Amino acid sequence: MSKDLQMRAAINQKLIEMGERERLKELLRAKLIECGWKDQLKAHCKDVIKEKGLEHVTVEDLVAEITPKGRALVPDSVKKELLQRIRAFLAQHSTL
Amino acid sequence: GVPRLVEWHKQRATSGFAAPSSPNQSECSHLQKLHRGSSFSSPVVEHVSSSSSSSLKTKTSIEPKGKHGTGALDVASAMSPAACSHVNGFKVDNWKQNLRVIYRCFVWSGSAETRKRKAKSCVCHVCGAHLSRLHSCLYCVFFGCFAKKHIHEHAKSKRHNLAIDLLYGGIYCFVCQDYIYDKDMEQIAKEEQRKAWKLQGTSHLFAPAGIGERYSTWEPTKRELELLQHNPKRRRITTNCTIGLRGLINLGNTCFMNCIVQALTHTPLLRDFFLSDRHKCEMKPNSCLVCEMSQLFQEFYSGHRSPHIPFRLLHLVWTHARHLAGYEQQDAHEFLIAALDVLHRHCKGDDNGKKANNPNHCNCIIDQIFTGGLQSDVTCQVCHGVSTTIDPFWDISLDLPGSSTPFWPLSPGSDGSVVNGESQMSGATTLTDCLRRFTRPEHLGSSAKIKCSGCHSYQESTKQLTMKKLPIVACFHLKRFEHSAKLRRKITTYVSFPLELDMTPFMASSKESRMNGQYQQSMDTLNNDNKYSLFAVVNHQGTLESGHYTTFIRQHKDQWFKCDDAIITKASIKDVLDSEGYLLFYHKQFLEYE
Repeated sequence: MSKDLQMRAAINQKLIEMGERERLKELLRAKLIECGWKDQLKAHCKDVIKEKGLEHVTVEDLVAEITPKGRALVPDSVKKELLQRIRAFLAQHSTL
Repeated sequence: GVPRLVEWHKQRATSGFAAPSSPNQSECSHLQKLHRGSSFSSPVVEHVSSSSSSSLKTKTSIEPKGKHGTGALDVASAMSPAACSHVNGFKVDNWKQNLRVIYRCFVWSGSAETRKRKAKSCVCHVCGAHLSRLHSCLYCVFFGCFAKKHIHEHAKSKRHNLAIDLLYGGIYCFVCQDYIYDKDMEQIAKEEQRKAWKLQGTSHLFAPAGIGERYSTWEPTKRELELLQHNPKRRRITTNCTIGLRGLINLGNTCFMNCIVQALTHTPLLRDFFLSDRHKCEMKPNSCLVCEMSQLFQEFYSGHRSPHIPFRLLHLVWTHARHLAGYEQQDAHEFLIAALDVLHRHCKGDDNGKKANNPNHCNCIIDQIFTGGLQSDVTCQVCHGVSTTIDPFWDISLDLPGSSTPFWPLSPGSDGSVVNGESQMSGATTLTDCLRRFTRPEHLGSSAKIKCSGCHSYQESTKQLTMKKLPIVACFHLKRFEHSAKLRRKITTYVSFPLELDMTPFMASSKESRMNGQYQQSMDTLNNDNKYSLFAVVNHQGTLESGHYTTFIRQHKDQWFKCDDAIITKASIKDVLDSEGYLLFYHKQFLEYE
């Protein structure tokens, strides 16, 4: 595994161990609801379901359809905030 | 009519709460549930296709149960989608305990020990990745990524056709090629998730202020499902719909009440509170103003287009705020404060059992939204000792140029700095100017000496007001009605106010850092706590003797409407910002989580 991937894995491990990943996930969830991201994607999901037909659509269809849009619609402010929190966390646990 | 101005003391008189009487369980016939937390996005009402019989079934299938891993509906099994038959191969022997172990160790790790194990072991056995939608096989110890199909390969070669998503706990069946929802398995998932949450404790980051529960998707109760079935009509919220807008009939100089009602019904957090049925009443029926407010929200969001006649509201206001009774024109600001006070007093049942030891710091929705803290620092001119008090406030009353008290100059040595995009030199008075004046140090003069505890004698002092704690909704009251000994008049000086407002310069903390020599950082885009957006403007047209109140309110983030009693018309942002302004309502842009 490349050094970059190794570093990512190590960071991820630390985040999980300290419970920080859960906290970040909850914070992210709250922020994404607040800014209307969840509502937007939910509406998009419903459109996809209508298009494909309720009886035939699979979770995979939805994941494939909404992932690019979901990624693009995350506001920069949210990304910045999460990044800042991760940085702060890493600074605190500088053994990495 | 004559708008009367009563001096509103900063410290509200503490009045006893209404004596609890027989509980009045309010049950609303229209059921409109909202997501918590949406600020300016429109209230979301679950849209269910109105095509008859399949409607509820459609709803249950659309809920993303796979992603959340919880969601077994408490309904007759005829309603829930049948799990696939392939789980039967799994459900043998001690399968329940095995499944619990998997959830506990690898999905929702509650304890430090399980977290450590999860961190170390949850990687793809094929490629070592940890972030590509990792799944665990349910039949053996194998982790594989979903995105790169490593778990699929395993499933095919070993004929292990079930796997669990380690991020959300959903169960995937490789034969059906989709996530499946088995009632028993979902039950286990839900229980393990709750256990893990309990282990993690009530972390401060988990709950938005005042709600105190961790987020989980709304699921209807049996009763709610019944109501939904009996009332099949649904309303779709689009960007152009006008839900929430409704005129109010003037019952005889009651525009002072109507204009405030419009502002309150368009306060997002208040709207969410009432439409989510969060008020638990402990008063006699038909005497609670909060219940009436709740009714009012039902009326506004009912979709009726005819103006509403608020006679019950008016009657309740007269009963509980005697000084406002009568058919004369009253002051809208006075009405706002009186209404907030009565609502606050009647909210007793919503305290969630927490005793309001301090009547000034109860946890009712009114306090949560409107109460801020105003810091008053009195500095002795001799020993420079500072005496600080913090008083709660619901609004900030600002003096205007043109009144008998001199407006200019501002604090000695104030710079012509640019704040909130407005320059002091531009000529027109701005809201920021008024706020700067409000928070400037003021010499109390030799005739108003304060007893200094440091000097043990009466000394001259300066007094300065700053914001200690900002409310979620900040209401600015421009003091346009002057009542001095000699004259009674209306000050019509134009005061420009912004769409977006940053309160940072007026905070107590900013004052401290200025005094400590730390100059204010250039607008840190991440320090969003003090940023506000305008959402309602109450205007008064006319003179002191005869006038009329109207309100501009904001809908759908960028649409504005003018509410003139029964008449609602579309307005432009320019209309709003050019208006004279009497009461300005600002909403925090970013909600803090306690």
